[in-house]
Amino acid sequence: MTASILDSVEESKYKKVTDLNPQEEIAPGSALCAGCGGLEGMRLAMKVLGEDTLICNAAGCFTLISVYPFTPLKGSWLYTSMSGPVPAAQGARDALDIRMAKHGLDQKENMQVMVVAGDGATYDMGLSPTSAAIHRNLDFIYFCYDNEAYGNTGFQQSGSSPLGSYTMTSPSTLDHPAGSERSKKDLFGIWMAHNPPYLATVSPREPIDLSNKFKKAKDMKGPRLFICLSPCPTGWGFDPKETHLIAKLAVDTGIFPIKEFVNGKVIHTKRPRKRLPVEKYLERQKRFKHLFEPERRDDIIAQIQNNVDTYWEQYDE
Amino acid sequence: MLRIRLHGRGGQGIKTASQILGTAAHLAGFQAQDFPLYGAERRGAPITAYARVSKNIVLERGAIAQPDILLIGDETLLSDPLASVTEGTESSTLIFINSRHPSPDLKKHYQLESLPVQLDISGLCQKYIQKPMILSTALAAVGVRLMGHIGLHHLLKAIRDELGQERLSADQLANNLKLAEEAFQKVPSFDLEFRKFDDGFSASHLVVLERRPPVDSVPVIFATGNMALRKTGNWRTHRPVIHYEECNGCAICYARCPEGDIRMDANEKPVIDYDHCKGCLICATECPKHAIEIIREVASWN
Amino acid sequence: MELTKNKQMMLTGNKAAAWGARLAGVDYVPAFPITPQTEIVETLSQWFADGHMNGKFTNMDSEHSMFMAAGAAAATGVRVFTASSSQGILYGLEALQTIAGWRVPLVLVNVSRALATPITLEPDHNDVLSLRDTGILQLHAETCQEVLDYILMAYRIAEDPEVCLPVLVNLDGFYLSFTREPVILPDEAEVRKFLPLFKPSQPVFQASQPMARASAVFGGGNYSYFKIQHHLAAQNVLTIYKKVAQEFGERFGRFYDAVERYRLDDAEYVFVMSNSFATKGKAAVQHLRKNGIKAGLLKLSLLRPFPSEIIGEALDHRSKVAVIDQNLAPGMGGIIYPEILKAVYRREDRPEHLLSVIGGLGGRDIQEGDFISILQRLDQDPGDDPLFLFDEKDLKQFDQLRQIAGFSREARVS
Repeated sequence: MTASILDSVEESKYKKVTDLNPQEEIAPGSALCAGCGGLEGMRLAMKVLGEDTLICNAAGCFTLISVYPFTPLKGSWLYTSMSGPVPAAQGARDALDIRMAKHGLDQKENMQVMVVAGDGATYDMGLSPTSAAIHRNLDFIYFCYDNEAYGNTGFQQSGSSPLGSYTMTSPSTLDHPAGSERSKKDLFGIWMAHNPPYLATVSPREPIDLSNKFKKAKDMKGPRLFICLSPCPTGWGFDPKETHLIAKLAVDTGIFPIKEFVNGKVIHTKRPRKRLPVEKYLERQKRFKHLFEPERRDDIIAQIQNNVDTYWEQYDE
Repeated sequence: MLRIRLHGRGGQGIKTASQILGTAAHLAGFQAQDFPLYGAERRGAPITAYARVSKNIVLERGAIAQPDILLIGDETLLSDPLASVTEGTESSTLIFINSRHPSPDLKKHYQLESLPVQLDISGLCQKYIQKPMILSTALAAVGVRLMGHIGLHHLLKAIRDELGQERLSADQLANNLKLAEEAFQKVPSFDLEFRKFDDGFSASHLVVLERRPPVDSVPVIFATGNMALRKTGNWRTHRPVIHYEECNGCAICYARCPEGDIRMDANEKPVIDYDHCKGCLICATECPKHAIEIIREVASWN
Repeated sequence: MELTKNKQMMLTGNKAAAWGARLAGVDYVPAFPITPQTEIVETLSQWFADGHMNGKFTNMDSEHSMFMAAGAAAATGVRVFTASSSQGILYGLEALQTIAGWRVPLVLVNVSRALATPITLEPDHNDVLSLRDTGILQLHAETCQEVLDYILMAYRIAEDPEVCLPVLVNLDGFYLSFTREPVILPDEAEVRKFLPLFKPSQPVFQASQPMARASAVFGGGNYSYFKIQHHLAAQNVLTIYKKVAQEFGERFGRFYDAVERYRLDDAEYVFVMSNSFATKGKAAVQHLRKNGIKAGLLKLSLLRPFPSEIIGEALDHRSKVAVIDQNLAPGMGGIIYPEILKAVYRREDRPEHLLSVIGGLGGRDIQEGDFISILQRLDQDPGDDPLFLFDEKDLKQFDQLRQIAGFSREARVS
């Protein structure tokens, strides 16, 4: 990125919530769960991106964003399939470029092409097409609403389900007390290995950080990728009013690092000063209840804590 | 056959109530069928579930258009035309409403054809399981009792069978059984007659579709932003109410509302769009000034 | 390679397909390689690189991605071409079914190759017929010339304002894909008159035309509406095909009916065939005619929509009809056979005997002797069971292989 672009980004930074675009780009009325953290993340992102956006959507909870004959968007929407949104974005991007170059389509008709997909589609089935699209340097934005399981089907284990979490297909049993026994895939690391121009994690609880990141990405070219931790009252088992509290604890415990990868460097944009113990985050969610009842599983909690500590040790100053 | 339709909201245990009904009927020696209507709707959204109880094999499937018994777990649904709760009811339909209002008032207010059976089962749920809107046990108990033909012991066995699959503690299960017993005792039994098959079948009015242009033959929506026509305010079980005298206009509630249901007005004060607010109550939780009160949505009349 | 007016050249079926795309003025080709289709995408890639084609060629990561990109590009308003084969069609099936429902115009080529398991290379039609019920229209080619001509006609059909559907042109792997024969390349200016450069007839994605496409539809009645409309549009192609074929014939001198009636006039014995092996059937008809047997051949070209009426009419008054399916639905038999039954069932003058024949699986040759065997079976009561074209030689050869594979003559008991 050139210095001049950096400067202009600096000038127009969001500093407080009243700086957010007052226009809502997503109308209310959708059938998503009350208190959906992913929707809050997408709402904030769309406030920055605006209506000249074509969203290619993967099968998942957000399929319900537009149900015929309704759409909450001012811009465009294309429902594809579970692993279809990234190649659809490729086709749409290519077609717009061809029409502008070959058929004289006015530049004003251009759109930001954006993929919206859950963690199931992103970490599992859609990983290969996304890898290929980043490799092709596809000019698009990827928004992954990550609620750490297949939510729309009733909360089954995905490649994003964290160690120790209960899902409908990773129950805690005598032989498998942890529930999900593996740590979630390091999607940030996987994507980073492709060296995209921009990659970031965002939290719905951090609207300023999120908005600045989308603002920065909006004017860049090539693959710009976002992972939005999306607290899910229905699947995670907490009261919908606590969505932001859970999102905050994910950051404050260091479980969900808020960061970006730009110019070959990882920068933590919201670094917890003193990390809270992970159980502060775990104990508030039904999906981790088996780590505390009927008896406390200190071994598994310690392992989760250790994973978090090991992560942050890499970045200790 | 007896056809029972249950109405409530996502998260209130309406599906489980229909399953307890089905199992209780099955245990009592009847043929039974139960199922929820899965829409793409979530917690708080109107939910419908069904049960059929018969002395003979059940030769029906799918939604029940004309119920013999209507069990309404959430009274607020009656004020929502989209929920179509009373659709298909006749004067002979036995209607139960979970409400604190007396039956004659309910009949008048909701313009029902007959007097409904009324009981505040939310109060009972609060008393026994401390969750006023987890209605599965109580609503099933009311249904079984109204219908008749099924004894209390079958009901209790059905509750044990069905709730045993949930991750409930022994105490929680015991409390549910006590709850069922009280709800069962508190409503009268009607010992409804089993209806025979309708003999008045008539042909459906099939039409020959004309071919329409491609753009009119695919799910394409040009009316962007029209989702707002869907009033999700009816999902709400609790209402956030802003006390403006305490509000400092910090806009945190506006920033945090996933639905974008809060806007800042010209005086930099937040205004809630109650037509759409699903009642997640994030705003009330996040308000640094604690200026947003949470009020339970009971029937919107007094 | 220079284009001259109505130049005739030796072209493989694959090259003919590439020429079809080039002459059609295609804007966009998302591609993924698979034997025996590769020559098509390699050729197009080179032509885009050399500037013979203008637009974009994108190397995709799978057929699923390729078809999804193709559909999205068509929904965004460019003329799209793509090609695949066999396992690739299956891998992309979900995407194909999806974009067919989007009602977007594009042309795809399938180079037929039999499906795993066992994995193999030579053709049969289980790949393309797996798309039978997707609502994608299908044209099946017998010659390299047909490949090219059908692609041009396919764009006219796909892009017809009343249609807006993907059209698939099928050619057999090896027997056409790698086989060179003379092909007339129509003059580009003439092609442009027949097929002007693409102008979308329905709203496409662009900033001034925001819309939601392919949103979820709930409720069986609502869903039915869209599916029935898809059917009506596909059925309507029977009329549109006739118009397009007539115009193509008048302009280029080659007339293609939805079926080809080869020496059918007084035929008593009729072979129903499609694709490149129809050539073998024609040879057999000639041979039989020389021997005084009134044989004829009905070649199926337009498979979707299925021209029931035309087929039924062509088979009226025939005494003996053999439907040769180069495919197999295990537990059922041939895939086309029941469709032909449907075409003739209500007709008063339907054929006396209808025989189901399964042959050419995995590219197994169909020889003259096989046609004689088919005739013999037709003269008996053909019965309901399919006749398999698998002979003593095939069995002997296979038994040799299985011995090398470690099986003794007797069944191995472990």
